[in-house]
Amino acid sequence: MPEDHDWEAYKVPPTRTPVSERTTSVPNPANYFQSAFNYVFDTPVTFVREWIERLQSKNKFYYYHQKFRRVPDLSECLEGDYLCYYEAEAQWRRDRMVDQEIVEIVRERMAACKQREGPNQFQNCAKEMELLAQVTKAYQDRYGDLGYHGNARTCLMKQKHRMMEERKAAQEKQ
Amino acid sequence: MSRVLRAAAAWAARRAGGAATTGTITGISGIAPRLPGTLVPVRHSGDHGKRMFIIKATSFYDSRFLSLLRFYLFLTGIPVAVLLTYINVFIGEAELAEIPEGYVPEHWEYYKHPISRWIARYVLDPPEKNYEKDMAMLDREARKSELRIMELEARRLMRHRGDGPWYHYETPDKNLVDNSMKSTPDN
Repeated sequence: MPEDHDWEAYKVPPTRTPVSERTTSVPNPANYFQSAFNYVFDTPVTFVREWIERLQSKNKFYYYHQKFRRVPDLSECLEGDYLCYYEAEAQWRRDRMVDQEIVEIVRERMAACKQREGPNQFQNCAKEMELLAQVTKAYQDRYGDLGYHGNARTCLMKQKHRMMEERKAAQEKQ
Repeated sequence: MSRVLRAAAAWAARRAGGAATTGTITGISGIAPRLPGTLVPVRHSGDHGKRMFIIKATSFYDSRFLSLLRFYLFLTGIPVAVLLTYINVFIGEAELAEIPEGYVPEHWEYYKHPISRWIARYVLDPPEKNYEKDMAMLDREARKSELRIMELEARRLMRHRGDGPWYHYETPDKNLVDNSMKSTPDN
């Protein structure tokens, strides 16, 4: 079953609709539609789902998120040590996947904020926009134009060039 | 319904010009009631109204194809559907939990769906084994390439310096060389 996203992460602020005082004796038709929906769709589906969950709760089993140990980085490997290269490459790929998920989460937060605020988004979502800008810039700096065949070595070379340019810019500033 | 058919049959009969002749499909045109094929009135009407023999193109091959298609799809489709329903309803997916203290989960316990867990447990190799296999292959190939590089270097040096056991070529003895024509320069 596809999971709902985390309701606690992107909390919707409480609605501020005012309590209406009835001035007519005509009943609200929305209540009838609500109860019809309840009887036709909601109750059977909930009943079936709860029955299934009662069945499945008898023998539960769990899955975990795998935790990997940190290994020496590519910059700490001796030259020609292909085993070290392999482990560093695997670690780099895992780190890149984690970074992609981080960017995805920040983007979702931004989208949730926009959806919540509606027309006030440009004012009230400033923090999320700032965070998204920083995170995407950082991702672009690190993994940006490596291309499909990017690996830990090309990323290290990109970092080296970045540091060289920073040093050159700092020297030119003096 | 039969009245409509009867009227259509009468019209068709009039068009075809007789009860015995049959019309072709292309003969029917205009605003006639469109029934599949051509209507040909048949005798032995009895009490049910006129019985019609509807001439149309054969649907034998089409219906045979569709029925065979359904048969072969459902032959494995229904068992698979039943199996998947049983697994998803009665066994269910795993729940996410924190790794308990001091417990090292098996490699199949990192998957959610029970079928993925089964495949990871009984069909595939554990990822640690794969990792070690790759590392072992890399190690062996690395040693081989190191030795090959060293051999090439040794060969190069021995050829260059000439003081090693390799690169010895047989040359004729220097006492056999005839130096008489080299002693007079103007020959």
